[in-house]
Amino acid sequence: MSKRRRLRIELSTAEGPHRVRLLGLPRETLLRLRGLGERELADEFPVYPREHLEGGVRPLDAMAGLYEVGPDALAFVPRYPLVPGLDYTMLAPSAEAEAQRVAFRLPLAPAEPTTEVLAIHPSGDRLVRNQLKLYVEFSASMSEGQAARHVRLERAGTGEPIEDPFVPEPELWDRERRRLTLLFDPGRLKRGLRPQLEAGYPLREGVAVRVVIGEGFRDADGNPLRARFERRYEVDGDLRDRVDPRDWECRLPTAGAAEPLVVRFDRPLDHALLQHSIEVTDDAGRPVRGRADVGPAEQSWAFTPAAPWPKGEYRLAVDPRLEDLAGNSLARVFDRDLERDEGAADPARESIAFTL
Amino acid sequence: MSEQATAVRYADLGLEVGTPDIKSVGAIAFGPDGILFVADNQSASIFALGFGPAGPAPDSQAFAIEDLDARLASRLGCARGDVSIRDMAVCPLTKEVYLSVMRGNGSGAIPVIARVEADGQVVDIPLEGVPFASTTIEDAPDPGDERIDTLVLPDDSAEGEEFKTGSGIRLRLLRDGLRTVTVTDLDYVDGTLLVAGASNEEFSSTLRRIPFPFNGAARSNSLEIFHVSHGKYETASPIRTFVPYNGGGSILASYTCTPIVHFSLDELEPASHVMGSTVAELGSMNSPTDMVSYRRDGEEYLLVATARLPLVRIACADIDGQEALTEPEEPVGVPREELSHPGVLRMANLDDGSVVMLQQNGDGPVSLRSYECGSL
Repeated sequence: MSKRRRLRIELSTAEGPHRVRLLGLPRETLLRLRGLGERELADEFPVYPREHLEGGVRPLDAMAGLYEVGPDALAFVPRYPLVPGLDYTMLAPSAEAEAQRVAFRLPLAPAEPTTEVLAIHPSGDRLVRNQLKLYVEFSASMSEGQAARHVRLERAGTGEPIEDPFVPEPELWDRERRRLTLLFDPGRLKRGLRPQLEAGYPLREGVAVRVVIGEGFRDADGNPLRARFERRYEVDGDLRDRVDPRDWECRLPTAGAAEPLVVRFDRPLDHALLQHSIEVTDDAGRPVRGRADVGPAEQSWAFTPAAPWPKGEYRLAVDPRLEDLAGNSLARVFDRDLERDEGAADPARESIAFTL
Repeated sequence: MSEQATAVRYADLGLEVGTPDIKSVGAIAFGPDGILFVADNQSASIFALGFGPAGPAPDSQAFAIEDLDARLASRLGCARGDVSIRDMAVCPLTKEVYLSVMRGNGSGAIPVIARVEADGQVVDIPLEGVPFASTTIEDAPDPGDERIDTLVLPDDSAEGEEFKTGSGIRLRLLRDGLRTVTVTDLDYVDGTLLVAGASNEEFSSTLRRIPFPFNGAARSNSLEIFHVSHGKYETASPIRTFVPYNGGGSILASYTCTPIVHFSLDELEPASHVMGSTVAELGSMNSPTDMVSYRRDGEEYLLVATARLPLVRIACADIDGQEALTEPEEPVGVPREELSHPGVLRMANLDDGSVVMLQQNGDGPVSLRSYECGSL
C-alpha cells in the first residue's frame, strides 16, 4: 500500500478558531517540516476552497492562516473561519507524483428559518401616488445587500412588476438592521424632473399594488425567512401641502386624571418619524413623562402620562421635520410648486397650546 | 521614512497601536503618510489605519487582473459569491491598490482590508496591532445612550439646544433617537476628511467635514447639514459619490439619476444650507458608482461611472464655464463623451499617468485593470 493513501484530515471546531489537522504524514516528514518557516509550510501545503482550485483562476492565492507542526500532525489554522458546507482542499506534496489533494468540509448545520417580516408601514391600507417611503420591520437582524433581489413591488391586479421603484443603494437600515427603509426614487416623484417625465410615477392612482418580501431575504445568520410576506395597498392621488398641526383634532384629558391625550391627524404621518417627533411639555417647558402610542394607520397619536395631569398650561411640541406619506413636513412641501409662494416656515404651527 | 520615524509620525497624528473594533468596512480613502480612512457604517465610525512604513513607490505600475474576486475569495477561504468588494483606493506613497471587502454575509460577515501587490498577489492585512485612531460620525453627546444621535440645525432655527464648541463656534443641535447615518463616500483634503452620508429616516443629504487628526474638541463643529434643494432639479437625496475639485476648495458630487453638482467649500459656514450648482445631467433611472479626475495633455478631465450607462468623460474646463442648470429638461449641461470601458464599479488614480478601474460585466468576474491617462 502506498503512503499517499494514508493522509487524512481531522477538523477541530470546538472552542476557538478552526483547526485543520493533516494526519498520516511519515515521522521523517514531520521532523523535516519542523525546521521550516511559516511561509515555506504555506508553500508546501497550501489550502484552497475547491471551487477555486478547479476553476480557471491562475495564479491562485492560498488561504490565509497559520501552520503548526505537532508530534503527529501538521495543523493549519485558517485566519477566517471555514464556511460550513464549502469544500476545501489541502495540497500535500509528493516526491514521486503531483501533489496529493486531501479534501475536507465543515458540515452544514441544519437551519430552521426563524425570522419573519413583522410589518410593512404605513400600516394603513392606502398609499398616495407620490408616496416617499415604506418601512419593512423584521423580527431579527438581517443581512445587507439583499433588498434589491428580494423586495418586489407589483400591480396587485396583474402581478406585473414595477421597475426600479426604490433607490437601490445605500440600503437604509436602522442600527439593529431590523427595519429597512424603502425610499421611492425621488426623481420619479418630483414634477418636472427628467426621470419623472420619462418613467413617470411608479404608482398609479386607483391601481392597487402589492409589496412582496421574498423568503430568500437572508437574516443576519444567513438563513432565509420563514415565509414570504405580502401587503396590498390601494393608491390615492397626490399629497402636496405642508403638514399643519392646526388641522389636527385634539381630545384633551381631564385634569386630575391619568387619561390619554389623543391627537387625530388630518392625514396619515410617517411611521418612523412619529416615534420621536411629538412631545408634551408643561408650562415650564419641561417634557411631561409618560407613554406615547401611535394609532392605527398612523392617523393618530396618544400620550398617556405617568401620573395624573396637574392643572396647568401645556404644549404639544411638534418637530418641523415630521413628514406625511409623501415626505411633506411642517417645514416644507416635498415637491413644492415654484410658481406658488408657500410662505416661510411658521414656528406658530410647530406647537399647540392647551390648558387643563 | 524609517520604521521608527513612521511610528513617531503616526503617534503625532493621534494613532495608537492596538486592534480597532471595526464591524464593517465601506468607503475608504487615503490621507497623509499612507493613512487609510475606513468608514464603518455598522459602528457609525471612521477609522484611520496606519499601515506604514511606506516603501518607495515604483516608477510605474500596471494591473491586468481578470479574476480579482476569485483570487480574493481563495485567499479568504470562501466562495466567490461570499466576497463583496466595497471600495478601492490607491496609496499615494506606494501606488498599491487597497480594497475594502466584506467576507461572508450577515452577522458572520468579516470586514477585511486587502492590498493588491505589484505582482498581482492579493494580501489581506491583519488588523491586529496596527496604529489607529477613530471618530464617531454621529457625535453623540451622551455616550450612555447609543440610540441618540445629533443633528446640526441652521443657526436661526427655533428648535434644539445651543452648544458652544471649544473653538468658540455656536451650534444648534437637535438630538434624536434611532436615526442612523450611512456613509456613502469619503475623501481627504488638507487636514479635513470630507464625509458624504445618507440618513435612514429623514430624507436629507449631509456632508460632514471632520478635521484630522481626530480630536474631541473639533469634532462637534464639523457636522453640517448640506441641503441640495433648489428649483425643479432640487433633490435632497444623498450624495452617492464625489471627488475633491479645485485643489479641495470644492467638490463635484453625483446623485442618483444623475446630476453632477459643484459645491464650493471655501465659504461654507458651519450648519448653513448650501446650494450646489448643477453642471451636468447624465440621465434618469441611473445611479453613479464612482468619479475620478485626471490630467491629459495638460487638461483636467472627469470620469463618471454609472450603473447603467457607459463610462462618461467630461472636460473640467467645460465644468468651470458651465452656468448652473435651472431648467427641468434641456439643456443637460456640459458636453460629455462616452468611453468603451464596460461595467466600471470603482476608479482611482494610480499615479499621475494612469487610472485603475474595478470592472464587472453582469455577474461575471471582477477585474482590476489600469489605463494610461493618454488612452482615456
